[in-house]
Amino acid sequence: MSKTMLEVNGLTTKYITRFHEDVYAVDHVSLKIEQGKSLGIAGESGCGKSTLALSLMGYYFPPLHYTSGDIIIDGKNISGMDPDEVRRNVLGTEIAYIPQAAMNALNPTRKIYKFIEDVILAHNPKANKKDIYEMARHRFSELNLPLEALDKHAVELSGGMKQRVVIAISTILKPKVLIADEPSSALDVTSQKVVIKMLRDMMDKGFIQAMIFITHELPLLYNVTDDIMVMYAGQIVERGSAKEMVFDPVHPYSRGLMRSILVPEEGTRDAKLIAIPGTPPNLKRPPQGCRFAERCRYAQPACRYNQMPILDFDQGRSYRCGLSVDELREIYRKEDEADAQAVANPVESDGPVRLTKGV
Amino acid sequence: MTKGLKKYLKKKIFWFIVTFIAAIILNFILPRMMPGDPVNAIVGKSISPGATAEQVQEQIAFYKHQFGLDKSLLGQFGDFVKNAAKGTFGVSYNQYPRTVSDIIGSGIWWTIALQLPAILVGWILGNLLGAVAAYKRGIWDKAFMPASLFLSAIPAFGAAVILLVVFAVNLKIAPVNGAYDPGMIPSFTPKFIASVIAHYQLPFWSIVIISIGGQAVGMRSMSIYELNADYVKYARFLGIKDSKIVRYVFRNAMLPQVTGLAMSIGSMVGGALVAETIFSYPGLGMAMLNAIGSSDYPVISAITLIITVMVLLASFLLDIIYAFIDPRVKAAQFE
Repeated sequence: MSKTMLEVNGLTTKYITRFHEDVYAVDHVSLKIEQGKSLGIAGESGCGKSTLALSLMGYYFPPLHYTSGDIIIDGKNISGMDPDEVRRNVLGTEIAYIPQAAMNALNPTRKIYKFIEDVILAHNPKANKKDIYEMARHRFSELNLPLEALDKHAVELSGGMKQRVVIAISTILKPKVLIADEPSSALDVTSQKVVIKMLRDMMDKGFIQAMIFITHELPLLYNVTDDIMVMYAGQIVERGSAKEMVFDPVHPYSRGLMRSILVPEEGTRDAKLIAIPGTPPNLKRPPQGCRFAERCRYAQPACRYNQMPILDFDQGRSYRCGLSVDELREIYRKEDEADAQAVANPVESDGPVRLTKGV
Repeated sequence: MTKGLKKYLKKKIFWFIVTFIAAIILNFILPRMMPGDPVNAIVGKSISPGATAEQVQEQIAFYKHQFGLDKSLLGQFGDFVKNAAKGTFGVSYNQYPRTVSDIIGSGIWWTIALQLPAILVGWILGNLLGAVAAYKRGIWDKAFMPASLFLSAIPAFGAAVILLVVFAVNLKIAPVNGAYDPGMIPSFTPKFIASVIAHYQLPFWSIVIISIGGQAVGMRSMSIYELNADYVKYARFLGIKDSKIVRYVFRNAMLPQVTGLAMSIGSMVGGALVAETIFSYPGLGMAMLNAIGSSDYPVISAITLIITVMVLLASFLLDIIYAFIDPRVKAAQFE
C-alpha cells in the first residue's frame, strides 16, 4: 500500500480585483496523489489551472488569497501555517513549482550556480558554499545537464536548456511534490520530449515523489501522467486514469477537449476538428447551475439551474454533469456513428469544419 | 570571450576617435559662424575716444595678427589643433593675454565641486525614493508620485530662481551669488571654507532638486516592472527570502539608471550653465557664457571640446561598465 503524498480537500482560493470583487478561480478542488504517481490537469486557458498550481503551494500573495480547504503534503497540513514558515520549511523542500514561463524564471543578472546557492541558503543558512557548488555539479551530471551551464547566466542558455535548468533548480532540494505548470508548452516538439523525459526521470530517480503536470493539451497527458483531471471554470469536471480520460471521456467538456485537438494517427486525414463554441464564463458572476451548460451541446434546461455535485462512477472515476454516465455514453456512441457515416459519404454541408478533404 | 571583448573595444575606440575628430572640427567652425567680430569688440572697448581711424585700423590689425585671425580659416584651424595639442588652447580674446587653459583651470574645479556631488546626491536620493515607493506602494507611493512628477517638471532655472528668491532674498539666510564672500582671498582658512560652504548650498540644492524627481520616477517604474517579473515569483516559490529578492530587483532596476548617471556626469559642464549663471558661480558655465557674449572663439571652442570629450568618455566607459553589470548586454555585444 503506497502512501498518499499530496491530499487536497475542498481547496478554495480567490483573486481580489482592484475593484474589490472576489473571483473564485479555484472552487472546492479536492485531489489525491499517491507516492510515485503523477496527475495531469487539463483545461482551456482561463479555467483555473495555473491558479490551482499557485494555490497548491500554500503560499499566497496578492491578488491571490486563500479562502478555505486543506493541503496535506505527506501527512503534514500546510494550509494553516504561518507564511514565513511555509516559505522556510515547505516551499522548495516539500513542494516545488516549475513556472509557466520558465524562459523568464531566472534572474537575468545572476549566474545559475549563484541562484542555486540562494535557494539552498534560504533553507539551510549554514550550508557551505563550496559544498553547494559540488552538490549542484553532482546533480547536474546526474540529470545529464552540461556542467558549464552552472557558470552561465540565463541569457547564455537556449530555451530548452533554460527549461531543464529550471527543473533541476526546482528539484534541487528533493521536494516531495513537484508542480509543473505547462513546462513544455513554449518549447518545440524535440525540446518538449526532452523535458517530459526529464520529468519522468526525476520520478524514477527519486528526486520527487509525486508530480502534477498542468497543460492545455489533454492528449499530451496520456504519455506523461498516470491520472488526468479536467478543470473548467475553477472546478474539477472529471477525473480518471489517463487511458480512460483520453479514450472514454464522459463529461461533455472533456470530450470537447479531446475532439478539438488533432492526434496524428491513422485516419487523421479524415478527422473532423470540432471546436467548443464560446468561452469560459466570467467567474466574477459564475453561472447558477452547471458552469459548462451555456456551451454544452447536450445541456438540458435544468442544467442551467441545478447545482452540479461531483459524482463517483466506475472504479476511481468521477464527473460533474446533469446527465447520467449511460445517457452520455449513448449520446456519444450515436454521434460517433453519425461522424463515421459522414466521412464515408461526404456531402457538402455547413456542419463541423473538415480539416482535409478525403482523396 | 576575451577575443570578443578585444574586438568590441577596438570597434568602440575607432568610433570614439571618429566622433572626436568630427567634434574638433565642429567646435572650431561653429563659434566662428556666430554673428559679431571679437576684434572690433575688443578695440571698441580698449581704444581711447580720440583715436583716429588710422589708429583704430592699426589696433585691429595688431589684434588680428596676435590672434592669428589674419590667416586663412585652414591656417586658423591648424593653430587651434596645435594649441589644443599643447594643452593651452591659445590666448583668450576677451581676457588677453590670459591663456584659455588658465581660464578653464580656474573654473573647472568649481564646476566639478558643485556638479559632481549634486548629481550623485540627486541620483542616490532619487533612486532610493523611487525604489521605496515601488516596494511600499500604498499612501507613500500615492503622495510620492505626483510630488516627483512636479519636481521633475520644474525647469532648471525655475528651481534656482525659486531657491534664490526664498532663501537669499526673502529669508536672507543664504548669500545671493558667488562662490565665496567677494571681500575674501581664496585660502585654506576656516573662515574662507565656511564662506564657500554657505555659498555652495543654493546652487547645490537647485541641481539636486531637479534631478531627484526624474530619477525617482524612472526608478519607481523600473522597480515595479522588475517586482512583477517572473523570476521574482519563481524565487518566492523556491522559498528565497524577500530581503534577497528585493536585492535582485533593485540591482536589475538600477541598470538603466546607471545610464542616466553616466550621461549627467558626462554633460556636467553644459548642465552647469544655468545654475552657475543664476548664482554667478565662477565655474566653466559662467566662463562659457562670458565667452559667448564676447565672441571669444578659443574659450568657446575649448569648453565645448571639454564637453564633447566628457560626454564621449562617459558613454565609452558606460558601454564597458554595462557589459560587466548586465550579462544580457555582454551576450549581445561581445559575441
